[in-house]
Amino acid sequence: MSSFESLVREAMLSQLRRRDPSLGPADLDRPVADLDLDSLDLVELHQRLETELKVKGDLRETAGFAFLEDFSTYFTKLASRE
Amino acid sequence: MSAGITDIAVAKPREVIENDHFTSIGLTDEWIRRRSGIAARSWLPDKTPLAEVAAEACAPIVTRMPDPSSIGALIVISTSIDRRVPGLAPDVAERTCLGPGVLAFDLNAACCGFVYGLVTALSLCDAGRAGSVLVCSVEAMSRLVNRADRQTACIFADGSAAVLVENRPEFSAFRHTAGCDGTQQALMREEAGGIRLDGMQVFDRAVRRMSESARYLFDSDPAPTVVVGHQANGRILEQVRAFTADLGVPFVNRIERSGNTSSASIPLAFAEELAGGTLPTAGRLGAVAYGAGEAWGGVAVDYRITDDVIAP
Repeated sequence: MSSFESLVREAMLSQLRRRDPSLGPADLDRPVADLDLDSLDLVELHQRLETELKVKGDLRETAGFAFLEDFSTYFTKLASRE
Repeated sequence: MSAGITDIAVAKPREVIENDHFTSIGLTDEWIRRRSGIAARSWLPDKTPLAEVAAEACAPIVTRMPDPSSIGALIVISTSIDRRVPGLAPDVAERTCLGPGVLAFDLNAACCGFVYGLVTALSLCDAGRAGSVLVCSVEAMSRLVNRADRQTACIFADGSAAVLVENRPEFSAFRHTAGCDGTQQALMREEAGGIRLDGMQVFDRAVRRMSESARYLFDSDPAPTVVVGHQANGRILEQVRAFTADLGVPFVNRIERSGNTSSASIPLAFAEELAGGTLPTAGRLGAVAYGAGEAWGGVAVDYRITDDVIAP
């Protein structure tokens, strides 16, 4: 796992635990629909990852992600380009 | 000598709508609180004229003035205006006994209206074009939304608040930033079925715009001593608070019992803080807003409130 990917997963878990403190690393592999997240949680996650990684993502793209893994892949790729 | 805020007053509807009102459209108290931070909001009776509500907010300020004839301008701000010809401002001017020489006009910049109106008032005052300027936001957003719409019905609310802008030797110059991106008009729009929002985009852009505006206000001295953001949604407010935490001043979130009163939300929240004693009666207000248009902006302005602020 790259350092960017670790950073992304750590930030994602931290953000998700604001909603449900019992979530663990294994939950990052679950579909978004299976987690107790609403659409604003996903915007907050998007903004959190942008801030942590100092990149600018496209919310119209990330809003459609079905898996948290997709966020990880998307933002890891963005950060690697910087 | 610069312009700033010297008085404030509010008029809030008596009818309080708790979250359980919305169970009939399938919304729970828990869901609404989580989604918006709102527990209750006030709605005006359907037939109450907005000019009457605005005049109720303005009247105490006019009454407290030693010389009301010094009011050279009245700016009435509303997105939910209930009459267009004539506008609200002449009616409010008459109801508050302002003389025929007053420059009275309506202004609509959606939820950013108070920032636009305040900047206009400060500019008129600073330029010596009007002795004092009365700025009044009045909204009946409950009349614009479809009350069966699960996205917006529980968010929006009604109310009015007015501030008096005057020149004072002790006031520092105001500072502002504002703009409008017409390419984003579709994000928030009125349709036959009420107001429609692109929720995720609005959330994202509101947080960015208000955070950037707040940060701009801190770029020069004196810096604001408090920031009051448009009370759009509690989640937006908390995100802006997090994004601007390093600015180190109180950030006001009073949405829990107010809801989103569009252009009236900033002065209503500011008045509630003053009335509750959580803010000193003198300081520098940083007001930041974001709304349909998309209109955005922020203004840093000195305030010194010498009269008792009437609790909303």
